[in-house]
Amino acid sequence: MRRFFGTPVVDYLPAFVLFIIAVIYLVTGYGYTPQARAFPVSVGWAAIVLVLLDITARTHTAAGETLTRWFNPAALPKNEEARPQYARAKEISAVLWAAGFAALIVLGGFLVAVPVYVFASMRLRGKRPLWFCLVIGAAATLFIWALFTQLLQIELYPGMLFPEV
Amino acid sequence: MLEMWLGGLQGLLHLDVLGFVFLGMVIGLVFGAIPGLGGTTAIALLMPLTYGLEPFTALALAGGVMGAVPMGGSITSILLNTPGTAPNAATCLDGHPLAQQGKAGLAIGAAGSANAIGAIIGTVSVLAVLPIASDLVLMFGPPEFFLMGLFALAIVATATRGKMLRGLVVGALGLMIAFVGFNDVAGGERFTYGIEYLWDGIHLVPALIGLFAVAEMIHLMVKGGSVAQSGSPVKITKMTAGLLEVFKHMPTVIRGSLIGTIVGAIPGLGGTVVAFLSYSVTAQASKNPESFGKGNIQGVIAPEAAICAHDCSALIPTLTFGIPAGAEMAVFMGLLIIHGMQPGPLMLRDHQVEIYGLIWALTASCVLASFVGLLFVKPLAKITQLDSGILVPLVLSTAFAGSFAIDMAIENVIVTAVFGCLGYLMMRYDYPRLMIVVALVLGANTERNFHQSMLMGEGGWSIFLNRPISVGLMIAIAAVLCLPIFRGVFNQLRVRKLAAERSGP
Repeated sequence: MRRFFGTPVVDYLPAFVLFIIAVIYLVTGYGYTPQARAFPVSVGWAAIVLVLLDITARTHTAAGETLTRWFNPAALPKNEEARPQYARAKEISAVLWAAGFAALIVLGGFLVAVPVYVFASMRLRGKRPLWFCLVIGAAATLFIWALFTQLLQIELYPGMLFPEV
Repeated sequence: MLEMWLGGLQGLLHLDVLGFVFLGMVIGLVFGAIPGLGGTTAIALLMPLTYGLEPFTALALAGGVMGAVPMGGSITSILLNTPGTAPNAATCLDGHPLAQQGKAGLAIGAAGSANAIGAIIGTVSVLAVLPIASDLVLMFGPPEFFLMGLFALAIVATATRGKMLRGLVVGALGLMIAFVGFNDVAGGERFTYGIEYLWDGIHLVPALIGLFAVAEMIHLMVKGGSVAQSGSPVKITKMTAGLLEVFKHMPTVIRGSLIGTIVGAIPGLGGTVVAFLSYSVTAQASKNPESFGKGNIQGVIAPEAAICAHDCSALIPTLTFGIPAGAEMAVFMGLLIIHGMQPGPLMLRDHQVEIYGLIWALTASCVLASFVGLLFVKPLAKITQLDSGILVPLVLSTAFAGSFAIDMAIENVIVTAVFGCLGYLMMRYDYPRLMIVVALVLGANTERNFHQSMLMGEGGWSIFLNRPISVGLMIAIAAVLCLPIFRGVFNQLRVRKLAAERSGP
């Protein structure tokens, strides 16, 4: 694994992404009037300084280790090792399940997305029996419909695909 | 004054009014327990239904709702690590680890009695303070409010023990997000990148649902198994012990309640800030600060006492100046207005009986909900043993629907999903999520107060140096930020002293 100042390059990734976000934010901020940008730009610069400190703290240099010891001791190697590690594929799959559900709601609306998601999630991820998935899927949909549509009088989003329903 | 207090209490002691307090309490418990709903949604939805009620009864109903929401929220915070309402996020930090250790009953019992005692202390303080509240709040101007915002960010960053630097990074990110939308100081929109929905800014509640509920469900999917890691049956036999635990930590309860009362009276610093402030001060004051975040019962008691006390004292700026202390109070102001009561200095003169009745209703609901909530703990505690394959789709469905229901905007669902992914990444890469919450809550007000301070100082920074409270706050901020350095130097000196003693004769 490639290392930079004694730390695997991949460990810099979160701080690097935040750095890019702060730079984009600053560039956008300077496009506004002086009054509108005064405070956001100050925060943007503060963010850049803090992210640079975070990047320095990740290095295995004297400055980095001092910063970590004083301001971020939770990132000391002995504490980092204690944290559980999960398979990358499992993490990506979990994020995609949640994001996929949100996309399904936008496309199909709640009354389509909820039963489909609950059924699919229980069947494919939970490995539950077919009848159980069907019953829980229907019950969850009924609960959402009863609570929001009937009790709270909130018209649930019908979905981009079924706007007329 | 005593006459008015008793007049309010007397007005409450009617069967029909008590019935509405109880109804409000049940609604508050349910709305508080469902992530994404909470008191703001409950009052907003109930508002049209109160048209036909007497003003006193309508306020009693609202008091019932507001008083019970914290207890409902604490139950899901402890059991599922998904705060029913934003302030309960602080309860997650130690409440959920306790649930994972099979001590859900202990944590909920402690939360219940902390709620009740916090409400009583808050009420006593409010009853004492309300007549002199005007003088207190008038001592704070925009420079003080601006510095209070920075102070809150700094002190919460120190509470993320061992992660102060990353906490500050996340705080800056949160502020950057908070500036998205229409800027009422300079006019025009900022950082919306052409997306119309973002003109109103990032909506707080969908973002919170994402950061906590969705992120936690993603984590549960990755981890597998159930919420209770032990796999042993949920132990709820310690609920009485939890109720009594509070009495062993009375200084924590009193400190939390006082923080809730004092800070709650300052507009803009809502329940979330109060809860985290109480939590962090308790952690700082503890002899065993390392145990916080790992299941320390004081980490449950401190925020819960503060939240209920805050709910009472948040009425001070709302009723006295017409300045809502938070979103819930802003909606509540609408309720006052539709019943012919204009919040402001005149309200204290013209509607004293209603005001004191509301305070009593809120307190009664807080105390009552603490015990009624405990009756539902047994079935709710079993939730922690549900397999993630069942729990995740059900919680995600409710969370996304709750997020949509806030203002019927489908974009809320997208915000929730985005913040859910962000929340999980923050958990994964060890960035503290609570800082982003505090920054999102404080961002807009802090900027507004900054601009008002600059106007007051005619563009100069001397405005912050000419006011004693501002100077005090600046010293406090500097001290809080330098705390880790002092701590590090102190530890080094101690290690050297120990080494010298060992190598000595």
